[in-house]
Amino acid sequence: MSNNKPMPVATEISAPFWEGLKARRLLIQQCAACDQWLFYPRRHCPACLGHDLAWREVSGQASLYSFTVARIPTLPDFIDEMPQKLAVVELAEGVRINTTLVGLDEAQIRIGMPLQPVFAQVDAKGGRLLRFTGLDQDAIGFETMPDAQQAPPLAVEQSDRQQVDCKDEAALQALVSERFSEWSNSLLVDQALIDAFAQLSGDDYWIHTDPDRARRSSPFGGTIAHGALVQVLQSRLKLALGFEITGFSTQINYGSDRLRFPAPVPAGSRIHARARVKAVEVRERGTQLTLEINTHVVGQERPSVINDLVILYQR
Amino acid sequence: MGLKGHAAIVGSAQYKPEKYATAPRMFHLEQVADLAAQALRDAGLQASDLDGLVINGPQFHEASVFVPAMAAEYLGLQLNFAEVVDLGGCTSVGMVWRAAAAIELGLCQAVLCVLPARMAPLGPDEDPSWMARAMRFGGHSTAFGAPEAEFDLPYGHMGQNTGYAMIAQRYAAQYGYDPRALAKIAVDQRSNAQANPQAMFFGQPLTVEQVLASRKVADPLHVLEIVMPVAGGAALIIASKELAARARKRPAFITGFGEHLAFKSPSYAQDMLRTPIGPASRRAFDMAGLKPADVDAAQIYDCYTITALLTLEDAGFCGKGEGMAFVREHDLTWRGDFPMNTHGGQLSFGQAGSAGGMSQVIEAVTQIAGAAGERQLERCDSVYVSGTGGVMSEQGALILQGA
Repeated sequence: MSNNKPMPVATEISAPFWEGLKARRLLIQQCAACDQWLFYPRRHCPACLGHDLAWREVSGQASLYSFTVARIPTLPDFIDEMPQKLAVVELAEGVRINTTLVGLDEAQIRIGMPLQPVFAQVDAKGGRLLRFTGLDQDAIGFETMPDAQQAPPLAVEQSDRQQVDCKDEAALQALVSERFSEWSNSLLVDQALIDAFAQLSGDDYWIHTDPDRARRSSPFGGTIAHGALVQVLQSRLKLALGFEITGFSTQINYGSDRLRFPAPVPAGSRIHARARVKAVEVRERGTQLTLEINTHVVGQERPSVINDLVILYQR
Repeated sequence: MGLKGHAAIVGSAQYKPEKYATAPRMFHLEQVADLAAQALRDAGLQASDLDGLVINGPQFHEASVFVPAMAAEYLGLQLNFAEVVDLGGCTSVGMVWRAAAAIELGLCQAVLCVLPARMAPLGPDEDPSWMARAMRFGGHSTAFGAPEAEFDLPYGHMGQNTGYAMIAQRYAAQYGYDPRALAKIAVDQRSNAQANPQAMFFGQPLTVEQVLASRKVADPLHVLEIVMPVAGGAALIIASKELAARARKRPAFITGFGEHLAFKSPSYAQDMLRTPIGPASRRAFDMAGLKPADVDAAQIYDCYTITALLTLEDAGFCGKGEGMAFVREHDLTWRGDFPMNTHGGQLSFGQAGSAGGMSQVIEAVTQIAGAAGERQLERCDSVYVSGTGGVMSEQGALILQGA
């Protein structure tokens, strides 16, 4: 979970709603004078301005009034939810709620479809948001914070990989391709990791380490990971290259022909990477393989790191 | 009830839209004085004729309160009427009828309506990222207790794009959706901009295919169906008929107006597809004694293509659900049978903040005055103008007529 997403701050008026969600109950208000249901919480009924409002637990039975799939994050902090499935949901009581849909593929979403609530955990203190999913979905399964969920399995299993000898120049040249591999596993870049890197590297600039100041003053609206951190995290991403180089005694990271940080990685983002073999050179001292590794925030077209990494295989 | 048509727009001024990065930086007070002087010259009136001021309160750089008094002092005006309008993209339309009403009430004889929308110079402690910060939450309040801060932002409901996209999606579910018809709105307006050297996209024609191939921002909206924010600013001089008789150009009398608003987030509209421009436009047409078919041009607020489509329907230019067929069947260019946004619309002219809506008012005035150059309509006596703020949340309509 990003550290910088705007979070609800309950007021005296709205507190029963948020407390209800924590207890996995949906409470909304009804006017005693005119029976009008209302959302969001108020002190006065928007139908008659009566002030005698009662909190009532409702079933959560709902339908989809409208939705959109946002292809560009509405705020940088939502980059980890891309594409965002923003929705307006109408409860059986007739009130509408701005929310998000979870657990549904884009193709499954239809205006008018019946929905059920998901009491989605958003912080370690038990805070929850009211999201929605389809009736045939496991609503309870979507309650836990996405970061706690397992990373998706690798696209290519290790055992399927083609073995290529580092002296077999023809086979090596055949690996050169314009096409990128499938995505690697994904990895959460949270504030704790960024802080640890700041300590290790000595780069503790506030844009990385001070969420409050970054929220106020950074053009990114929150803290971002160091470019160098995202670069080295490539070691924790298992690239789905589909081949394995064999027949060498040592492999050496020879550096990079090109290293660029075109897009930020906001704290709380998941990253993943893909790669392609850009060039192969078989030389006297060994075989030099240039991998173009692009690390992206999950869901983002623009890479956060472009690294033309040169690996030297010594025989 | 309503206006008698005794007040007219007699002068205007508008900065050429420019990219924020390269536009001159001017204090808002300075822009107000500069635009006022230009608009007075256009009208053929003197600063001493002015006795009314309508100005923006929100986004005024040098002050957030006491804006009219500060501006009157800076400009050296003696005012009998001062007003702040806070209606987002509907501000321009809202300014015009308020000024006309004040003149008809006899409060004043000439009103400056002004919206500065260039950036101000940076202070010694400010850096360019202030704008990114200021724009982070757009028009959304983050104040403690603001409903949208508590119930929208935590879910990522932020900004205009996704709100308009959700309206378009519901429209599609109810009436069907022809992306080519929506794209044609942008394309016909771009064609109009080719006859307007002031437009941001002058010299850059556009095809339906290019619109549909442009990046999807929020389904079903493509980036070329969304306005480009630009630096600008605009002013109008609205005067009594007595002063209007001295105007240099043919005045545009304000014969009808309407305004309607009921929500900020369209999620809370009774019906998201019955937009407030419906009641606002009915009132405006009734006041002027005209029907939609009677006007010679429509200058329709077009922050998005879907905004223009729903306005065509709800203002009564066609039936509900018939907007896409209407767009397919009519040529919306200045040469066509339904001239709409003849300056290019904000989609091709550029949207200078809340002054964006002024471009529609000024185009109506320019066409009525016969001063539109290459894109001048052969006959232009009556024009419908709409304004839209927020996500179709605050809307207004004007009928402007040449005498």
